[in-house]
Amino acid sequence: MAELTHTLSRGSSVQIDETLCNGCVLCMKACPTKAIRVRDGLARIQGVCVDCLECVRVCPRGAVKGVTPPYSDLKNGEHYVVSPSSVLYSQFGAGFLPNDILLGLRAMGYGYVHDQSYTSEIYNFALELYIREERKKPEPKFPLISAICPVVERLIAYRFPSLLEHIVPLATPREIVTREAKRRFSDKNKCRPEDVSLLHITPCPAMSSQLMEHSLHDASNKDRAIGISAIHERIRQKAQEQAMEQDRVLHYSGGVGVGWGKSGGEIAALNAQSLAVSGLHESIRYLKKVEMGLLEDLEFLELRVCTEGCIGGPFTVADRYQAKHLIERLVRMFGEERRVKYNYVLKLYNEGWFRSQWKRVPLESGSPRLSISENIERQNKIEDLIRKLPGIECGACGSPDCRTFAEDVVDGIARLEDCVCRQDRGRREVAREC
Amino acid sequence: MPDLERRFTIRANDFVNAGEVSLEIQSILKHIGFNPALIRRISVCAYESEMNVVMHGGDGEALLKVSPNSVTLVFTDQGKGIKDIELAFKPGYSTANLKHREMGFGAGMGLPNIKESADSIEIHSEEGHGTTLNIGFELEGDFG
Repeated sequence: MAELTHTLSRGSSVQIDETLCNGCVLCMKACPTKAIRVRDGLARIQGVCVDCLECVRVCPRGAVKGVTPPYSDLKNGEHYVVSPSSVLYSQFGAGFLPNDILLGLRAMGYGYVHDQSYTSEIYNFALELYIREERKKPEPKFPLISAICPVVERLIAYRFPSLLEHIVPLATPREIVTREAKRRFSDKNKCRPEDVSLLHITPCPAMSSQLMEHSLHDASNKDRAIGISAIHERIRQKAQEQAMEQDRVLHYSGGVGVGWGKSGGEIAALNAQSLAVSGLHESIRYLKKVEMGLLEDLEFLELRVCTEGCIGGPFTVADRYQAKHLIERLVRMFGEERRVKYNYVLKLYNEGWFRSQWKRVPLESGSPRLSISENIERQNKIEDLIRKLPGIECGACGSPDCRTFAEDVVDGIARLEDCVCRQDRGRREVAREC
Repeated sequence: MPDLERRFTIRANDFVNAGEVSLEIQSILKHIGFNPALIRRISVCAYESEMNVVMHGGDGEALLKVSPNSVTLVFTDQGKGIKDIELAFKPGYSTANLKHREMGFGAGMGLPNIKESADSIEIHSEEGHGTTLNIGFELEGDFG
């Protein structure tokens, strides 16, 4: 099969409300890819956004928002398959079990409800098989990095391209769900998979952007993603009505699938030297460590940019610590093992079920590519400029820090006169001379 | 004359900031746009050398020299020097103390790792007079 290039989504779910933004520096300073500048008193995104939504979290005025399509945009129908992230199970308090929630979704009129937590358990076994295969290679790419968090994937592609080959190359649960849910539904209902639309219910803006940009494999332009926060209230109503009718079982997974959304979910049952890290800055710190070759004893590294994992995602409703507590209870209730049978997954694995024909490539900034000599010259100019700057990292010039400001001046998108401290120093010198 | 030159200070036993110089070097190389595999090799050498200076070298400095066809790292320190250089390159040989080992260092893989990752390596050391380590990388073509 020809290798296809994995075009990572460049889409961003971040929108800035100009009527609320007062041009402060908080979002600009929080951005891990330095993609934001403040110009004419307003924050603007002008670089590569990895959809981590750190800017949304730090904005005190609610001007920076992560946007999910509203519920009213969605059409229900028999050909609509819905697949909720397992994070949904932690969003309704202790009164609702996963099955109640899935029954609620079914009652909302969707033709088929696909329990994503079950797919995650299948994937977890496949991951273990892949790690075993990697151990046998002469130069294993350890630590392998989880492919679950799409922001981590984009951060690596943009800031740590040498680590792209460390990302687990299997098709991810969200890709498998996209393929399998449609196939199963179309088999059962005698229709073509192409005619089936899939609705993902997700805590994650990056996953939603991935889908909207058509860079989620096997997804079609009829598929949609909606934030948990946009559909939460309706599910609660329906789940409450359904709670009495416990006749149907839609939830199949054990504790591993249910706990998938919290930090450590992927490694809970994994037989490998593994570690789970969550939070944007901690994840970046670990990526730097891997790049320096410091974690080669580790076989698998789970990274999620949201603190505590996907249960702390921007489109969640419940408090992340309460959600974590609830998930831990559910994990105890459903058992800490996978309910999937090993031999079943082994068969699927050998049949190529998890194979992905996509190759991950670096995410480029889009600015013209300079030669090494040109770049050396540029770096020297930047270094000379930095010496002229105060180094107090105030951000008042509209760039996130003095170094980035120097880069912006050299690249012609800012002027040295924009440095407020230099203006002030100039004024004071003039005053002294008078 | 190299086209780009940067100097960094490394402090003895400063485990809080240890690794920062290597990160800075890594970030400069990324900005210049060398290929990721080369940056990775250089980063490994920079980190191992920096830790050697922090643990054994007393105060020292790192010098980064970049030209379109080569990258050179020079680590100079005023530490106790290396008694037997050949032995120091033997995998697993270490003079690290208990404190270093408790922090997870001192596996005796520093110099062997550097040797494996670098294109050329030159070391001068005299007992009681410090060590100079010169690590060279050659680049093929304009994009490394």
